[in-house]
Amino acid sequence: MRTRIFAFTLSIFLCAIARAELKWEQTAVELHPTAGDKEAVGHFKYQNTGSQPVRFKSVHTSCGCTVAQSQKEEVPPGEKGEITATFKIGDRTGTQVKNVTVETDDPDHATTVLTLKAVIPQELEINPTFVFWGQGEALKSKSIVVRASKDFPVKQLKVTSSSPDFQTKVEQTGNGQFKIDIQPRETSRAIAAKLLIQPEDSPKVFYATASVTNAPAIQ
Amino acid sequence: MRQALVLAALALLPAIGQAIYFRDKVSWQSPIPASEMVTVAQARAWDGNVIWVDARPDAEFERDHVPDAVPLNEDRWNELLPQFLATWSPEKRVVVYCSSQSCNASREVARRLREEAQLRNVFVLQGGWEEWLKSRK
Repeated sequence: MRTRIFAFTLSIFLCAIARAELKWEQTAVELHPTAGDKEAVGHFKYQNTGSQPVRFKSVHTSCGCTVAQSQKEEVPPGEKGEITATFKIGDRTGTQVKNVTVETDDPDHATTVLTLKAVIPQELEINPTFVFWGQGEALKSKSIVVRASKDFPVKQLKVTSSSPDFQTKVEQTGNGQFKIDIQPRETSRAIAAKLLIQPEDSPKVFYATASVTNAPAIQ
Repeated sequence: MRQALVLAALALLPAIGQAIYFRDKVSWQSPIPASEMVTVAQARAWDGNVIWVDARPDAEFERDHVPDAVPLNEDRWNELLPQFLATWSPEKRVVVYCSSQSCNASREVARRLREEAQLRNVFVLQGGWEEWLKSRK
């Protein structure tokens, strides 16, 4: 009877120590890409602190804009490694939060959610990015307000219309703010233009759109 | 009876603890109001008065998409937005979709259309492309 109790206790003890355990250095990473960066890469480092190997079953992301890769399929005891998450910035703005879900064969921590936060600098705030007129609407100008961020001072703004059908006028209203007045030459037919907004001494171009739609003017 | 109450009280303790610990992490509300979501059936009923917007990456759009849908994703927002606006008209409803219920791209695109371009009548398709495919069968 004593031997049985001892064997039972020993088996429980062995089960307790012979475990796989992936310890993450951090499960959340905040990145601050600079203007012009095409992508932001987060590194999630881990170590297997258990005595059994850990196998990755799957690594998937919450967005088609993020690709996550594991260096290895299996992590032997004591070994370190990392999951790399590459976030494609594209034309995204503001704070972006993307999740990477990691599934392993560790029964105690089968699923771990890693969070990648990218704070994309917004140099110019353009409001609205679209102005339109209905068919036959009065030939009155409409305005777009452009506000430069504190970290991106703008002295002058150049606005170019892709079509001569629209005239633009830029006015500085102070505090890094500008007003762009846009006016179509006519509202009797559907026309459109892309407005290229470029701060002085900056290669970066921002966009707005102006159009006269096919629909009658909204009263 | 007394035992049941004791068990229920014991079960409640960790639940309360978890609710307090995760109070800032739990989303108690859907990020999009129900009025801005639309089912496939509702959107189909709008018939010719709808612009379908595909918020998925280019490769997925090229593989297949809702007939006459316009691609508009955040990878190429600046390039695609004017193309979408060329098809837009104020009396039309805009229905944005991405891959499935869990994807977030359609919500982001819809948000930018409402806030940045200040468009009205912008809806997000419930269940996304997966749901639309089911309705096609």
